[in-house]
Amino acid sequence: MYQQQQQKQSVLTEEDLAGGILSDLKRIVREYATAATESTCPDIRQLFTKLTDNTLALQGQMFQAMQQANMYNTASPALRQELDKQAKQYQQTKQKTNQFLQQTLGGQQSQTLYTPQMQQSSQQQQNGQTHYM
Amino acid sequence: MIQPMTAKELEYIADSMSNEDAQIKQCAALVATGTTPALTSLASQMIQTHQQHYDSLLHAISHHQQMAPTQPQQ
Repeated sequence: MYQQQQQKQSVLTEEDLAGGILSDLKRIVREYATAATESTCPDIRQLFTKLTDNTLALQGQMFQAMQQANMYNTASPALRQELDKQAKQYQQTKQKTNQFLQQTLGGQQSQTLYTPQMQQSSQQQQNGQTHYM
Repeated sequence: MIQPMTAKELEYIADSMSNEDAQIKQCAALVATGTTPALTSLASQMIQTHQQHYDSLLHAISHHQQMAPTQPQQ
């Protein structure tokens, strides 16, 4: 009895507990997103959309707190040659798709959604309208 | 105008409440046993958010109770 009251320590370490919470949050974000896409009622869809956003925010906070506490090993950076390779390959894919669009639709321009703050001004000066195109 | 909730939506809501409940308990364990202040204070804030999520899900069920059919529909 006394021992039980005094023994407040968990069998799991703090890192185990935090890691468990983090991985569950990742799963819950996916489940909320799936629930939103499969909802029929607008109000239920809206609820699941909000819950997706909120849970994603919680997961981000948990990840940052764990990273600051040195509980998380960040993935190693991708190599320059890998970036070059993928950029080249998808540049080609894009050209082929643009040709396909030209043939089928008579040509339409797309705008990138990827516009990081730091690069924005210099890129804008260089090509006037779009970035990373 | 609110539509009746589908059986699938109800399943998702019930599963979600189980998830939120489990998170509340896991965060409480971290608050009770953790030693890193940044983690324990975050976990205690998270308990409140998960409780709010749980209540919102429960609310959604109660909002749809009135218009739910009592016989299986085809």
